[in-house]
Formats: sequence, C-alpha cells, structure tokens
Amino acid sequence: MKLEIGNFYVKDIVFGELLSFSDGVLTINKEEALKFVCEDERITEADLYIAKPGDKIRMCPVKEAIEPRTRLDGRSLFPGYIGDLAQAGDGVTYALKNCSVLVVGKHWGGFQDGVIDMSGEGQKYTYFGQLNNIVLVADTNEDFEKREQQKKNDALRRAGHKLAEFIGACLKELTPEETEVYESEPMIRRGEEVEKLPSVVYVMQPQSQMEAAGYNDLVYGWDTNHMVPTVMNPNEILDGAIISGSFMPVSSKWSTYDFQNCPNIKALYKEHGKTINFLGVIMSNLNVALEEKERAALYVAQIAKTIGADAAVVAEEGYGNPDADFVGCIVALEDAGVKTVGVTNECTGRDGQSQPLVTLDEKCDAIVSCGNVSEMIELPPMETVLGELEALARDGLSGGWANDEILGSSVREDGSIIMENNSMFCGDQVCGWSPKTMKEF
Amino acid sequence: MKKAIVYVNQFFGQIGGEDQAGIEPQIHEGQIGPAMQFDKLLDAEVTHTVICGDNYIGSNTEAAIATIIGMLEDKEFDIFLAGPAFQAGRYGVACGTICKAVKEKFGVPVVTSINEENPGAEMFKKDMYILRGGNIASKMRKDVAAMVGVANKLLNGEPVGSAEEEGYFPRGIRRQVWRADLKPASERMIDMLIKKVNGQPFETELPIPKMDRVPIAAPVKDLKTARIALLTTGGIVPVDNPDRIQSASATRWGRYDISSTDALKTGEYKTIHAGFDPAAADADPNVITPVDALKVLEKEGFFGSLHPYFYSTVGTGTTQAEAQRMAQEMVPFLREDHVDACIMVAT
Repeated sequence: MKLEIGNFYVKDIVFGELLSFSDGVLTINKEEALKFVCEDERITEADLYIAKPGDKIRMCPVKEAIEPRTRLDGRSLFPGYIGDLAQAGDGVTYALKNCSVLVVGKHWGGFQDGVIDMSGEGQKYTYFGQLNNIVLVADTNEDFEKREQQKKNDALRRAGHKLAEFIGACLKELTPEETEVYESEPMIRRGEEVEKLPSVVYVMQPQSQMEAAGYNDLVYGWDTNHMVPTVMNPNEILDGAIISGSFMPVSSKWSTYDFQNCPNIKALYKEHGKTINFLGVIMSNLNVALEEKERAALYVAQIAKTIGADAAVVAEEGYGNPDADFVGCIVALEDAGVKTVGVTNECTGRDGQSQPLVTLDEKCDAIVSCGNVSEMIELPPMETVLGELEALARDGLSGGWANDEILGSSVREDGSIIMENNSMFCGDQVCGWSPKTMKEF
Repeated sequence: MKKAIVYVNQFFGQIGGEDQAGIEPQIHEGQIGPAMQFDKLLDAEVTHTVICGDNYIGSNTEAAIATIIGMLEDKEFDIFLAGPAFQAGRYGVACGTICKAVKEKFGVPVVTSINEENPGAEMFKKDMYILRGGNIASKMRKDVAAMVGVANKLLNGEPVGSAEEEGYFPRGIRRQVWRADLKPASERMIDMLIKKVNGQPFETELPIPKMDRVPIAAPVKDLKTARIALLTTGGIVPVDNPDRIQSASATRWGRYDISSTDALKTGEYKTIHAGFDPAAADADPNVITPVDALKVLEKEGFFGSLHPYFYSTVGTGTTQAEAQRMAQEMVPFLREDHVDACIMVAT
C-alpha cells in the first residue's frame, strides 16, 4: 500500500466569499458552510468560529476534532462512515496542516466531552491549543440524550466529519507544499536488508466499551466492540479507516484528528528500514467482560507470533477498567516472547498517591507514561467562551462537578474553572503527541 | 525575614560523642554546628538550635517529642530542619521522628537528609522531604546545600521539583510534568523500543510498584448460619442520590435500608455510575445489587441472614486510596452487625 499525503500549511483562517486556500490563508464562506452543515435536519442551531493559538478563547463542551482533507479520487474521507465503503490507505490525499475542525456543543455536554483553551496557562493542556481551528458550535434535536450523561453526539460528530471534508475540497486543484509518502511492502516481501531488522507491530486498543450502538470508535463504520483483533495496514489508520467515538473521560480519548495523524505510527514508519522492520498494526479493542479482554489478548499474541513480530508497542485509549485490557495484552505478548513497550496515561489521584493503573504486572517493564487523569487544574476566566462553560459543571463531564463541599462548582461565577485533567480534550495524547510524563515527588 | 529552627544530635550539637548520647533535649538561641551553615544559605534566619542525644530520643521517644514540642510552642518559625544524619542509624530515625511530630503539631514544612542505607530513610520517606544524604560527615557541605535547595523553595512558595531533580526520596506521589525538552511520547516510545529489542538497558516511565495484594479470604464455614452483606461499586442509589455520590472519581458512599423490601424497585433505585451503559441497571437495579435473589435464598434457608443495608459507591475513576478509605469507613457497620461475609458486586 502506498499513501501520499500532500500537505498545505495553514497560517491563518478567515471568513470570506469563496472557500479557498492561498498563500497559507484558508478562506471559508461561512453561510455556505453552515448551510451545508444544516442539511442534516437534526442540527437546530449552528455557527462557525475561528480559534487560533493566542486567542483568548475557551471551548466547552468539545466533542470531536478532525483534520480537513480531500481525496483526489473522490473517495470519502471516512469510508463506511460518511461515505461509501472503500479501501483506505492507498492513493493520494491532501491535508490542511496545523488546522482542525472542532465540534463544540452549543449547550449540552456529557461525560466524554472536554475543554480546550487557546491561550494562557490552559493552552498547553491540549494539542488543539496550538492549532488553527475552525470551530463548529451547534445544537441538535437529539432530545432523547439531552439530559443523558453519556451522549452519542451523533449529529454533531457527523457534522464535523462532513465539514472537514467540505472544507478540504478547496485543495483539489492545488499543488501541495510537501508530500509525505507512506509505503508498506507486503510483510513477507521486504528483502533481506529490512527483514534482518527486529520486526515490530503496533497494537492499538481503541475505545469500544459501550455495548449499545453509537458510542464506540468505528473501523470502516463498524463498531469496534463487535470485532476480534485483526491485522491492519498502518496507512488505513492514517487515511480515515477509523473514527473516534463518544465514550470515555476525554483526556484519554483519541480524536479522529489523532487517528489521521497518529504520531506513534509515523514514528515507527520513520524507523522502518533503519532500526526496525515495522510490520503493521494489530487493531485490537477494549472490552467489558473479562473473557472478552482475555480473548482479545490471546488474539493479539497469536497474530504477533504468526506474523513473526519480535517486538510490539501497545497503546490504550482509556484508563481504569481498560487498564486490564492493556496490561493483559502486554503480559500475553511477553509470554509469547514478544518484547513489548506500552504507552498509557495514569490515574494516581488528585494527591498523586494512588496505584497508577488498576492492575499491574511486573512484565510491564517498559512503559511510556503520558499524564495523570486526575491532576487538578485551576484556570482563570477567559474573555470568550465558545459553547456553554456551565456544561463542565452541570452535565457530568468526567473532570467537572456541580458542587463540592470544599471546592465549590467546577465553573465559578467569574468564569474561572477548577477541574480534573480528565476533561482536557484528548489531553493525555497517548497516540504519541504527549510532551507530558509522570515523575515521582 | 522568615525563621527556621534546626535539630541536631549531641555530636553535631558540639556536646560530645557516644558518652553524651543519653542527654535530654535542650534548646539554644542562635546557631550551633550545621545550623551555622544553614543560616548562611537559607532564605531565613536560624533562630534556634535544638539538641538531643540519639540514645535518649531512641529510648524515650514520646518523652523527647513532648519536651521538644513544648520547647517550640512559644517560638515562631516557618520551617524546621533536622540533620543531615548521614549513615548514623539512630540519628536518622531521630530526625525523621522529630520532623514528623513537628509537621503534625505545627503544620510547618520539614526537611531532613538521610543516607539510603540508614533505616530512617525507609521509615519516614513518605512523610516528608528526605534528601538522599552522603554516608559520612565529610559530605556535610553538600548535604546541607541540597536541603537548603528544597527548603528555600518551600520558604518562598515555589514549586519543589521531582524527587529525581531535587534529590529527595520519592514520597509515593506521582504527578504529571511537562518534560523540559517536550520530547513527544512517540519518540520516547521508539527509544525504549529500540533499546529493549536490542537487549540494551532502558528506563521505564512507570516503575511497577510493589504489589499490594489482599489475600483471598477463607471460605465461609457454615453458610446456613452466616450473615451476609451486599456491597457494590456499581453506583446503585435511591433515585434522588441522597448521599450525592459522584458519578466518577467517587469520594462518597451510602448505605441503604433493604430490611423491608423483597427487591430493589425500578424507579426507586437507579445507577449513577458513568462508566458503563446504565440501561440494564436502571431497568432493574437488582442486576447489579441482587437483593431479589438474596431475599429468596434467605427465605429458603440457603444462607443464615442478610445484613439490613446494602452499601454503594461508584468505582469508575475512583482512586485506590479513596476506595480503601471508604472501605475502612464501611467495615465498622459490618462488624457491629456481626457480618460473616460480603458479596462485593463490581461492574
């Protein structure tokens, strides 16, 4: 498979007459874009904003992030989800870099939604604080879940994916500034030079723990809850085969943007042919029942052995209960003789004194750690709020609370907030961005 | 200028060696021994030096603490320092003991320095900042400077760096930090992977702590006479959630009377747990807290009797420390009612 990603670096975003990209400036016709968004009758209110690094903007409840792209062959960016099923991972796609489409609830949030700050102390807590963002703030008629803590956010998330595709289309006739090429030869035909290197698989555990439909990460539109681990080509992940879900405390989440740009995959590709033979991805999942967790671990270890992996990297999109899947998978791989590195975040409590993962095993001797979900964060008021800040306190966001005897509400009258890292939008960046680590104090 | 008080033993207090190790606590205005160097480097004035014999505090610990606390009661001070104690075993334990007592009584920060071979380090490292000290007194200058590094940050309200950066023993606290080089996780993963696969030494970012395993309890001897209690982390509560138990990262729990009901009724109980799909539990709360089945089994004589309350909290995101505390709060109720065994329902 050969995937070419043509990059266009966004330096500024403005609203104007014609959707276009020129000299680093992305121009969006707001009315036209909103009209497109409102084609989904479930969307009742919608507006578009621009949020750039340094802007005095706080966003909440943030639901999804997507990199705007276009496929030159006309294929949908997310086959099986917002377009017909087709193979991802091959061919040419153009991408607007340093840029994302963010989806923010106009009023209502939930357990899985989060906060992004574009400046000040809070900016560093998310990857999106450093990007030029097109922000869709909208509400829907999905009244059945308005007051639910767990929300599918289906209309809003789909609107975001479609809008990313709609905006990306302006690149079709242009020439990219640079092109990234990801090419993977069949595993058994890579030549002696590559095959003598230690072979490595990347094991992904996307979030799939909701039994009900509509919440989990989707692979080609298929619920990751309903699969056993399988081999995927890394290019498929980079090219829209998988989209983020709407479940799990959001600092642990991988947005669709994170999947499209997965730094762990890119880092493994970079070493391919030099220090390692990057075999590919084993797409696993996260489960509820112990037997399901064990079955998935067994499959991962079996596939790794079957395709001849000497080493593996396991990354989990979650914490708490999913730690059992994460640790179980590493142990199964180590028991099969596959040298394994894990990437995760921790939950050591507000005081930092709790056990970092819910289950531990001495075989997990190589862990990259990306943050503490329960770290307390206090941030001053922000000039502009996109969405409804009160959602952080009112709607059961995983890192917010309505009232606390000592701390009061997460959202104070002056607009300052106090929250757990749990609600920083994709803040722990286990997909590979994280500049954070954990230290002993 | 802020004020500090320094604790030293009989030797560093310039009273004498082993023959003076039995002396009772004394307090002097001004600086004696290491206190002089502390005074030079600290962002505070060392107003007093407390001296006590290592044998005295070792054998008369409570009396020594009481005397020293009494001596400090009318003094104003912003920080309390002890040592450095090097590898001297009794001195190290004394430094830890008195620092802990002073911190608890006066709420001021305390800092000491103990060598890792000294049992005092292991005994007290979770209670305070203990710098990793040298083994012999010739390391005095270095150890004092290291203590002052941490002490000045505490005095000035500046954040104290990690154990590794500052040179103290880890206190069992893990926190997230931004790496100075901002090196992303993906690159750290590659470094670790290449070292591990090539059999080279590497350093994990999450050292696996010593396991805190609870042994499995002995089987119930006679179920026919046993009193059974029902507990859950599934978040089943009366619909108005009277104890305001949080939906995640819980710090609260509740116990609810089930003595006069045959089953938890839909609409009277629900789950407030945010970590799983609540549909089934809300439709029938007994699927998580099986009061219905237990009542039937009780009537049939399958087991002796059911404790009249069930206990509930939320497990998702709840830290081990909070869970342990909540359990310790529940246990007296169970003991008082002579409960023989508990059914703990997870989700």
